[in-house]
Amino acid sequence: MADRVMLTIGTKKGVFVADAAKPRRSFALCGPFGPGVPVYSTLIDVRRTPRLYASSCNPFFGMKILRSTNMGKSFAETKSAPAFPKDDGRALVNIWSLETGNDKRELWCGVEPASLFRSRDGGDSWEMVPGISNHEHARKWQPGNGGLCMHTIIRDGNRVHLGISTGGHYLSEDGGQTFTAANQGVGAGFSPDPYPEFGQCVHKIARHDDAPGRLYMQNHGGWADWSGPGGPRPDIGVLRSDDYGRSWRSIAKGLPSDFGFPIVVHPHDADTVYVMPLEPATRTCPGGAPAVWRSENGGDSWTRLARGLPKKQTYFTVLRDAMDVDQLKTPALYFGTTTGQLWIGREGGERWECLFDSLPLIHNVKVAVV
Amino acid sequence: MALSPTPTITVYLPGPLRAYSGGATQLVIPARTVRAALAHLEQSQAALYRNICDETGAVRRHLNIFVNADNMRDLSGVDTPLAAGDEVTIVPAVSGG
Repeated sequence: MADRVMLTIGTKKGVFVADAAKPRRSFALCGPFGPGVPVYSTLIDVRRTPRLYASSCNPFFGMKILRSTNMGKSFAETKSAPAFPKDDGRALVNIWSLETGNDKRELWCGVEPASLFRSRDGGDSWEMVPGISNHEHARKWQPGNGGLCMHTIIRDGNRVHLGISTGGHYLSEDGGQTFTAANQGVGAGFSPDPYPEFGQCVHKIARHDDAPGRLYMQNHGGWADWSGPGGPRPDIGVLRSDDYGRSWRSIAKGLPSDFGFPIVVHPHDADTVYVMPLEPATRTCPGGAPAVWRSENGGDSWTRLARGLPKKQTYFTVLRDAMDVDQLKTPALYFGTTTGQLWIGREGGERWECLFDSLPLIHNVKVAVV
Repeated sequence: MALSPTPTITVYLPGPLRAYSGGATQLVIPARTVRAALAHLEQSQAALYRNICDETGAVRRHLNIFVNADNMRDLSGVDTPLAAGDEVTIVPAVSGG
């Protein structure tokens, strides 16, 4: 019976694991594992005996996948990590996303430069997925500030959604064999064409299993004052699709900023979605006062959730994969900051408390009930 | 004319790479150039090689390779010739934070 809440925390200096009994009164911290090496993605795979994965992105010695089979007590490298074919001409720079695949040993992995890899043996061997990695657009995508990364992989049967910065949203309906750019309504502030076919700086995409056609996107917003060719592009930062990502519309009205990185959906309600607005110029908390914003009606209106969070002089950033929500009946949210704090938002984000205040810069937070 | 025997050289490994060399701090291998030394490692020490070179075969960007006291960049790169007894040292660049 699942009775513990487990967190994986990917940081600039390795991966940490924290866990607590279900009431989540206090979390015990272990790590760092892969010490000193940046971890951009983690995965808690609960399809069988839980396994934890972390991408260990060593700028000196290359990319590794770490795996724990003992609930985070230790990690070891898998037999291999994703790598481009020798004659491809590209070399892996970072591993940005790890997700579960169809069968119990299958994993998917999004990397920089933006490409997709698949493992059928729990991460010991990997093959490139050519339908997107060799897509006719692939050599035209441009890196964003974080690099040219494939950061979002969402599967729904044969449907696969990918988020690429900067490439946009790509949709497969044949299990990942072929992909189509699906960005109608997704704006781009940094190109003369405000609504290009592809090339948008998508920051994160999220969905709920009960509403597979509904997707939420945190796009690169902050272009309301743009005065160059194509004119201003207000409210392009927070978007919703109701047709499996083929078209998108803004749901940013009511937010203090349409810029941000993570977007998270409530585990039991597809209408409830959370974002963390940031000032577009500094990418820090508006007015120095951090807050998560929640919509309970699919983005029609928003409520500020800041009880317990600092009220002033706070200028951290929450990165694209650094916010998650657990699956308990009354779920808690979690976010990690670039200043190394890990916060828990109890009662669905109503009441915030700092769990750990001096970790390294946090890239990634994942939570599961195990 | 008979080709001279392939020189034997010593490759010195930094601490983080010793997990991939069975704990060895140095490897004695035959090689006429740095490129040949790397090719030898690719065949004989595949896991170690992947830490030194990326998929394209390029030496990883934040690694330096010295031939005796000189960075190979200041010599002829991976085509730098090696002589018997040369010391090839792999060192992470001083960078990061």
